[in-house]
Amino acid sequence: MSHEQYKILSRRFGRADAHNLAAYEADGGYAALRKSFEMGREAVTEEVKNAGLRGRGGAGFPTGVKWGFVPKDAETVYFMVNADESEPGTFKDRYLIDYDPHLVLEGSIISSYAVRAELCVIYIRGEFGWLIDRMQAAVDEAYAKGYLGKDILGSGYALEVIVHKGAGAYICGEETGLINSVTGRKGQPSIKPPFPAVQGFLDKPTIVNNVESVAAVPHIVTNGAAVYREHGTEKSAGTKLFSVSGPVRNPGVHEIPLGLPFREFFHEWLGGMADGEELKAVIVGGSSVPILTADEAMNINLDYESCAEAGTMLGSGGMIIVPGRCDMVELIQVLMHFYWDESCGQCTPCREGTGWLHRLVRKLRRGEGTLADLDLIEKVCSGMAGLTICPLSDAAVMPMRSFLQKFRPEFEALVQVQDDTGSPSRWAREIRS
Amino acid sequence: MVKVTIDGRELEFPEGTSLFDACREARGEALPHFCYHPDLSVAGVCRLCQVEVEGMPKLTIACNTGVREGMVVHTRNERVKTAARQILEMHLINHPVDCPICDQAGECGLQDQYMNHGLYESEVDKDDKVHKAKAEVIGPHVILDKERCVLCSRCVRFCDEVTGTGEMGIFNRGDRAEIGIAPGKELANNYSLNTVDICPVGALTSRDFRFKKRVWLLKSTASICPGCATGCNVRVDHEAGRIFRLKPRYNKEVNGRWMCDIGRMTYRGVHSEKRLDGPMLRGDGDLAPVSWSDLHTFLAERQVGLWISSPAQTLEEQALLAALGEQARTSGGVSTAGRGDGDDLLLHGDRTPNRTGLEWTDLQQHDPASLVALVRETSGAVVVHGGDPAETAPGFLAAVGGRALIFLGTHANATSKAATVVVPMSVWAEKDGLFVNKDGRVQAVRRAVARPEQAVEDWRFLVDLWSAAGCADAPAGLPALRRWLAERVPALNDLDLNALPAGGLAPATAPAGAGGDE
Repeated sequence: MSHEQYKILSRRFGRADAHNLAAYEADGGYAALRKSFEMGREAVTEEVKNAGLRGRGGAGFPTGVKWGFVPKDAETVYFMVNADESEPGTFKDRYLIDYDPHLVLEGSIISSYAVRAELCVIYIRGEFGWLIDRMQAAVDEAYAKGYLGKDILGSGYALEVIVHKGAGAYICGEETGLINSVTGRKGQPSIKPPFPAVQGFLDKPTIVNNVESVAAVPHIVTNGAAVYREHGTEKSAGTKLFSVSGPVRNPGVHEIPLGLPFREFFHEWLGGMADGEELKAVIVGGSSVPILTADEAMNINLDYESCAEAGTMLGSGGMIIVPGRCDMVELIQVLMHFYWDESCGQCTPCREGTGWLHRLVRKLRRGEGTLADLDLIEKVCSGMAGLTICPLSDAAVMPMRSFLQKFRPEFEALVQVQDDTGSPSRWAREIRS
Repeated sequence: MVKVTIDGRELEFPEGTSLFDACREARGEALPHFCYHPDLSVAGVCRLCQVEVEGMPKLTIACNTGVREGMVVHTRNERVKTAARQILEMHLINHPVDCPICDQAGECGLQDQYMNHGLYESEVDKDDKVHKAKAEVIGPHVILDKERCVLCSRCVRFCDEVTGTGEMGIFNRGDRAEIGIAPGKELANNYSLNTVDICPVGALTSRDFRFKKRVWLLKSTASICPGCATGCNVRVDHEAGRIFRLKPRYNKEVNGRWMCDIGRMTYRGVHSEKRLDGPMLRGDGDLAPVSWSDLHTFLAERQVGLWISSPAQTLEEQALLAALGEQARTSGGVSTAGRGDGDDLLLHGDRTPNRTGLEWTDLQQHDPASLVALVRETSGAVVVHGGDPAETAPGFLAAVGGRALIFLGTHANATSKAATVVVPMSVWAEKDGLFVNKDGRVQAVRRAVARPEQAVEDWRFLVDLWSAAGCADAPAGLPALRRWLAERVPALNDLDLNALPAGGLAPATAPAGAGGDE
């Protein structure tokens, strides 16, 4: 089973020298940048729009359309690459930067050129220490070869690139939080409007794109929108990286054509479950999206629309395969701890709600919960969903609600059985195991 | 203008109006809120002012939304009410239920909102709350209870945007987030108590007012701060003859919604131990209590050579003193005490409330040296109304020499100690009168508390003196006095001083409308 033809972003993965400029150039690197300057920025933007490239960070907003939001008369524009990859289950951007930093950089330069940015900030999460070094090395090489700086390749276009190290907050992956963090402010999202494309970094128009999104740009420029669209569906065009974790035979990063049935992906790419494991549930696109039962997952295609129809999201492509032995209440407790820990705390529903959910789930796990607590969880969720500045609140609610709804017996098992010695927890756990 | 339908009512608003303000007008009351403040930037974090805008899938916060033509907004339907109730519950889950010992009780946003929008049973285990530091002193005037804070960030924005001092910030994140002071700093700017005013809960409280009085027992009297020439509009909060605090009263032409800490502390002088509490006459070397009739007899026997007023007296008093001076064909004069450092916000370098009044009543102003010279030029008794020339004008007492020094004042000071006669008067909070601020705005101080038993109301005393000196038609009551004043002072000729608007009047300009409180 060869899936080589789908390897566009990942074609250089695994090669020891892939990150070197010489190797990248030998593979045709930076030709797309030259071509971009020949095409002109409007044509580049048009090509990206026509390609149907959608933001790969999770929201899936069309990249070219986002570029078009920069006011035409803006004098100063900034471009930022979001490499604050922190969504639990997601590890695709780190592969891109690790193996192909020049692809990311070339895509960043072309994107910056398209939106007329004079400064590009590549924001890498603080925990990715070695990736920061790798990206910085690529940037240094690019400066030395004239791909960055003044008058790039004789085009007259000037661009500076800064590799910025984050300080370890999940919320800085939200684009306004990222901008605040770069600015030196507390890393928390800003209220919108104004949107960053109009008023972002230093109050100037700022476009923030995910690493995988910009990495797709050189391919689109080189081969055109039509070739890009050879893979994927009408609305979900191209290929997408999925980072798969869990007890499958072939975990790791896989590049697939969007629209691929999960069933096919699961069996033919991932090789099915490892020996002795059984598929219980699938988190399709990072820990924030609603979980699917094994049956539900087997009926979806991996594209934005099909996921939405199934009540979940393609998200970042951070796929978590949940095996049969997994305690769903324990799993949701881990996630609720995460969102409680990472909430920036400015919006009340999220600040208080994430903590409340975390404490409620912990209470259940201790065997101290009641059936009323399950209803309370639902109530707390409804007080959090859609009521905050950024989606972190929803990101906590979506897994919580879907876990409770789809695996309710596991939650009920923690409260239904109470022995008369007043210590329900140990007994309840024994019954379930 | 833009047409907007709010709760079924179609209204027009100027373009750029915030939906929050539009809803306030349409509803007759503000949407529930903590973080919104009309004089601060929009934070959009409390999430309480959610409304439903038709065509938008999610509820939206009104404070960060502008009105648009054809907008149809619902603020009272079940969806909106449910959201407000749920978000309020979120505000309360980690809030300590210590209302009985909280100074904010009675004027607390959380209490009010709970009564209006909450009224549910608590579903939170009280042992499960996040605890934070309580009663941290963060500056000379302010104390912080981090546990009561709802993180609306108003205080942070105030220090960033109004004073520009930036002492405060929100530290940590999630439900561990807390208000704090930047390392090595304290909240010591001269406007720090405004953070207490705008704090919707009991997180920031005034060290001065704390635990002194339950707020629902307080009565309020609208007045003017006597602390400087700005004339900030204030609310005097008092009970049983005692003032407990001054709070700013909105006047967009003068102080907006703020006032300074120095001004807030001016009330302390009202209940000072130094208050003069009875008429005194110098007998054999020492001042001794005297009856009012003996005092009047003494005064009637004296020929006054000089009447000295002060920029701390009301316009009525200054005018009466000037009239008395004319009657006696003597000069009016005034000392120049009361200068300090000002700032570019509200505090003025002239720390007296009514220097403009001296100009309007044609009382000459003198520096210390020329005041002393004036005293030397005159003969007869010297009357000092307010101020302390013995302290501020070196050589003053020597110039008075053996002549009678008649002091009409409120507090013991160098002049009262040297006086032949001391008449205890009323302070600004014990009387009615007008101050004219640095910009010529006429504003009224009103009697909030009773004066000391033995003190007199300044203007009545002066009117009595004037009558005794032979004036047949001295004004008999306050309305008559103000009519007389309006005739006497050219700038006031066309004004009805008995019907002054709440925001005062600036002659030759439009009257200032007094706005609603935040």
